Amino acid sequence: MRSYLRLELRRAFRNPAGLILLTGFPVALYLLWTKVLNVVPQNQQGDFAAFSMVSMATYGSLGGALFIGGAIALERSKGWARQLAVTPLPASGYVVAKLVSGVAGVLPSIVVVLAAGALLGGVRLPLWTWPALVALIWVGVVPFAALGIAFGYTLKGQAANLAMMGVYFVLSVLGGLWLPVQVMPEPMRVLAEYSPAYQAGSLGWRALDGQWPTGTAVGVLAAWTLLFAALAVWRYRRAL
Amino acid sequence: MTDSRHYSRIPLSTRLNGMGIALEVEAVSKRYGGTVALDGVDLKVKEGQTVAVLGPNGAGKTTMLSIALGLLAPGAGTARVFGLPPADALRSGAVGVLLQDAGLLEDVPVGELVSAVAGMYPAPMPVERVLRAAGVAEFAGRRVGRLSGGQQQRVRFALALAGDPRLLVLDEPTVGLDVDSRRALWQEVRARTAEGRTVVFATHYLTEADDYADRVVLLAGGKIVADGPVEAVKALVGGTEVRFVTGGADVSAFEALPGVRQVHIEGRTVVLRTGDSDATLRALFAKFDDVRDVRTVSPDLESAFVSLTGGQER
Repeated sequence: MRSYLRLELRRAFRNPAGLILLTGFPVALYLLWTKVLNVVPQNQQGDFAAFSMVSMATYGSLGGALFIGGAIALERSKGWARQLAVTPLPASGYVVAKLVSGVAGVLPSIVVVLAAGALLGGVRLPLWTWPALVALIWVGVVPFAALGIAFGYTLKGQAANLAMMGVYFVLSVLGGLWLPVQVMPEPMRVLAEYSPAYQAGSLGWRALDGQWPTGTAVGVLAAWTLLFAALAVWRYRRAL
Repeated sequence: MTDSRHYSRIPLSTRLNGMGIALEVEAVSKRYGGTVALDGVDLKVKEGQTVAVLGPNGAGKTTMLSIALGLLAPGAGTARVFGLPPADALRSGAVGVLLQDAGLLEDVPVGELVSAVAGMYPAPMPVERVLRAAGVAEFAGRRVGRLSGGQQQRVRFALALAGDPRLLVLDEPTVGLDVDSRRALWQEVRARTAEGRTVVFATHYLTEADDYADRVVLLAGGKIVADGPVEAVKALVGGTEVRFVTGGADVSAFEALPGVRQVHIEGRTVVLRTGDSDATLRALFAKFDDVRDVRTVSPDLESAFVSLTGGQER
């Protein structure tokens, strides 16, 4: 099934509209938080520039992963799923190709937002932290790619994009990617800390302080990944 | 064509195994709400056969093929492909399918799409060869979304061929194709059947069934109303037509001629339908001396079709 994976990878990197949307928007938001608005006191601006950089890189990349579902929904309404159903490609092969290509396709948006942090936000970090951030943020999008796939097989055409827009917003805000969870009321904060977006963000936030991901973060992300992946495979089979 | 086709030479064992059943549906029925789409259909396609599934729109052709391929669950009955559940046969790469309503990836260049699909099969045709066979080579670098409907249909054909499958199932493959593309498609189909591959195609073009199938399955109203070699299906309408012009004679005189089953008068032309045109002609010339412009006409599939389906268009 490698030939189909190669095709999906090429498609992921050949989609200029998607790349601009998912890198341009987080970069613009990043500059808004750190350069235009006064979100934090003057003496914490440096920390916030780094924190927000990680938040926005996570935000953009998880959006890219979620919106794999939009492409799937479109392909389904145009009958590509029907074509695939008469090829030897199994359900699992298709889902894996979508997952891998979707996750690979978010790499540019991570790199661009981190570059914006370094060049425009004045973020200074130990050299090793930068590749570590890319890798950690990247790993964090895996469950969202699976969730996107599940949505792509549940809804068709534009409906999937609208629904994911909502899910994207709720997960991002709940996960403290727009504003830190520290400003949330206690019950919401507890909920937030078990949400996938918060734990995805925590991978990068902790790396800023030179810390490893917590066991909770790894466990929570793994659980969400398994759940969403199972959901995606189930929806794919139902959709045939 | 100087192409040696070495890539698709099939093992002798496969060729000798011509008695295997490539595709089979048994007692298959399907309803959509109150409408009966298929009503107890049985069909066995042996390996090496070229079978045309012929019928008016709504006869159940697509429904039958979809059930045969496992894409649609039958209301009753079973389907098998090469003795396996259809889904398993598809997974094994033994089948290439052109579906009417299949979509394509519009953002992908033709060549890449064909190559990706070919790569899913265990022993695909070389991509270059597929592109030429399906007549898509000249626009292989263009994105699918920029192609005309006919060109996209050729891409669908390329995807069906890509795996060099033992069984090719084509649902209305020439819809939207111009004359040259049609000819090229059938040429490729013929080349495959000459190698002992099996082809099943649905069409409502009678000439396609007549020219390219060695067996015709006639579907009407969800039932198979005729099934056999093209000649046998034609013969079902009954004999040959003898037409001539005559000064005047009454119908009963013609009806008495040997072999004649039916007499029509069309103006000054008399049309005899006969089971033995030689005997009819001999007697005709012996008994009537003012008979002129004699022609004999073999029935075409069209008249077989009209007479067997009752000319219904649903």
